[in-house]
Amino acid sequence: MKSTAKSTVTPRNVIDNHSDIAARVRGIRQTMSDLHTWAGLLVGWILYAMFLTGTVSYFKDEISQWMRPELAHQLEVPDPAAAAQRVADTLATVAAGSPLWGMEMPTDRHNVVSAFWRTVGAPPGKRTFDSGTFDPATGQKVAARETHGGEFFYRFHFQFHYMPVLWGRWLAGFCAMFMLVAIVSGVITHKKIFVDFFTFRWGKGQRSWLDAHNALSVFGLPFHLMITYTGLVTLMAMYMPWGQQAAFKTPAERQQLTAQLNASPPPGKPSGIPAKLAPIDDMVRQAQARWGQHNISRVTIAHAGDASARVTVLRGEAARVSMSPQYLVFDGATGKLLETRDSVGPAAEVRGVMYALHLGRFSDLQLRWLYFIVSLAGTAMVGTGLVMWTVKRRQKLPDPERPYFGFWLVERLNIAAIAGLSVAMTAMLWGNRLLPAELAARGAWEIHLFFIAWAATLLVALMRPAKKAWIELLWLGAALLALLPVLNALTTDRGLWGSVADGDWVFAGFDLMMWALAALHAMLALRTARHRPRTKPARRTRASSATASTAAATSTATLSEDRA
Amino acid sequence: MMDLLAFTLCIAAFGALALAMERHQQAVFDVLLPRSRTRLLRAAGWLGLLLALWVLVAHRGWALGLVHYSGQTSLAAGLVHVALIWRERRRTARR
Repeated sequence: MKSTAKSTVTPRNVIDNHSDIAARVRGIRQTMSDLHTWAGLLVGWILYAMFLTGTVSYFKDEISQWMRPELAHQLEVPDPAAAAQRVADTLATVAAGSPLWGMEMPTDRHNVVSAFWRTVGAPPGKRTFDSGTFDPATGQKVAARETHGGEFFYRFHFQFHYMPVLWGRWLAGFCAMFMLVAIVSGVITHKKIFVDFFTFRWGKGQRSWLDAHNALSVFGLPFHLMITYTGLVTLMAMYMPWGQQAAFKTPAERQQLTAQLNASPPPGKPSGIPAKLAPIDDMVRQAQARWGQHNISRVTIAHAGDASARVTVLRGEAARVSMSPQYLVFDGATGKLLETRDSVGPAAEVRGVMYALHLGRFSDLQLRWLYFIVSLAGTAMVGTGLVMWTVKRRQKLPDPERPYFGFWLVERLNIAAIAGLSVAMTAMLWGNRLLPAELAARGAWEIHLFFIAWAATLLVALMRPAKKAWIELLWLGAALLALLPVLNALTTDRGLWGSVADGDWVFAGFDLMMWALAALHAMLALRTARHRPRTKPARRTRASSATASTAAATSTATLSEDRA
Repeated sequence: MMDLLAFTLCIAAFGALALAMERHQQAVFDVLLPRSRTRLLRAAGWLGLLLALWVLVAHRGWALGLVHYSGQTSLAAGLVHVALIWRERRRTARR
């Protein structure tokens, strides 16, 4: 989005092939600039939502904990061996007759066992899996409100909602492709990437927006490129299956491929001879001896109760920048170790690394925060880009009160996509605390509430004058965020003081984060309210001094503007 | 601990790189620094970034080291940027 208004005042005698080259170079840059603008705008609103929900997904386990306040603060991580045994005992009745059970083991961040099992005899087209959350200490279904927890944000960020999963993933991939185009064209357009590295010109309208956008993009460039590229790769096999189909023709070959990529071997046929399941905890203990006490991510049991039962214990991802599956396979009836898989082929390993880099699951807390902050900067990068489109064009409007339809539409969609999304996401958390526990399909209603709130903000954005809509929605977001810890303290016994006293940093951190985000929204609202469109030369406003966090930098960058 | 060391190195390095630029010399010192000083700052900056990379890779291995490095450099550059903006704002406010 570099302006190319630089006039070429070249002495006559130098005008030869020099200016010729210059003109051609500028041509490329101009093309790239247009590409950047329109590729960014076309999918920018969806990208913003993907970025923000993806960003909070780095803390999806913590969000899930917060959304199940009935589950006590986990003081120590339960032993996976004992937990697997308990939940398997429960599944024997809950999921009796199911050919496949899977149990995600609890970790220091994830305080429940999430299990899924294949349902038998489901009519075609119906879901073939059922799932539940279980208490690792008792093995029983958790006694908590029904919720999808942070999992919703995670799912939404690559497959959206209210549409078939495959469509959603195609749409996400399409947007990610545009993102990649926008990044590359942006770098080419922004030729002074190193000269302008630390440049920020305060209070200069479009210039300031551009500087903010550049800073947010350039500082996080390695991350943005990595996250976009790996994001595409995680869904690659779905978008372009032809290579695979051409290379692997026979069913046996395809089965081999699946075995390389999947976290458990394909289950065979049941023998029909009933046999009791051998103790699961013994099997998990063998895996623990190999990988470490808490480095177990999943236990899968195929054909439980049959003589051909197979138990697969999958290694965790701690401190391993790869999600290529490593597992042990046991004979479920005898408990004998049948197969050990410690490595996969190089191609599968590359895929494992890409997945791991994107999801950041190997991270300790510190690296997780780094991911979160840089990813938040990426969100702000998309947001500033969107707003810049209007800032740049508003100056050229003949009558700012009555813009042409395209401008009007972009401006309104910006409001709903940026300010509205904060309101919608927070509304879902309010729903989690306020919806009655006995409501049927309660988890689904939390999600409906998210979309209802989002639609309402769109309505506000369309009906109100643009500036008023920005201010009102930002204040609404700030209020919802700021009052959420209060609501939490009123409706549960997990208020902030109690959490701090208990040393429960998930709940305390969540409350504090809400206040930090509320402050951010309030600052944005104040700045927008104070902003006067430039009819006279830019007025210097005394800005609240930036605090030393990138989040705040993001905000000040975003804040500082709207003044073109 | 090593992470903190690497992070401090990154901040110092980006600070040096920023001060090696004329725009920020003008803003921070009100004068341009001599050529030799500028060159020294730039060299120190790049060296600092390399050193931080070495610390992280030695501490965590290539895979995790590079991931941490990418995050730390982004955050450090952002912080230096904020510091520069803040300084600039304070100067204009005083005038």
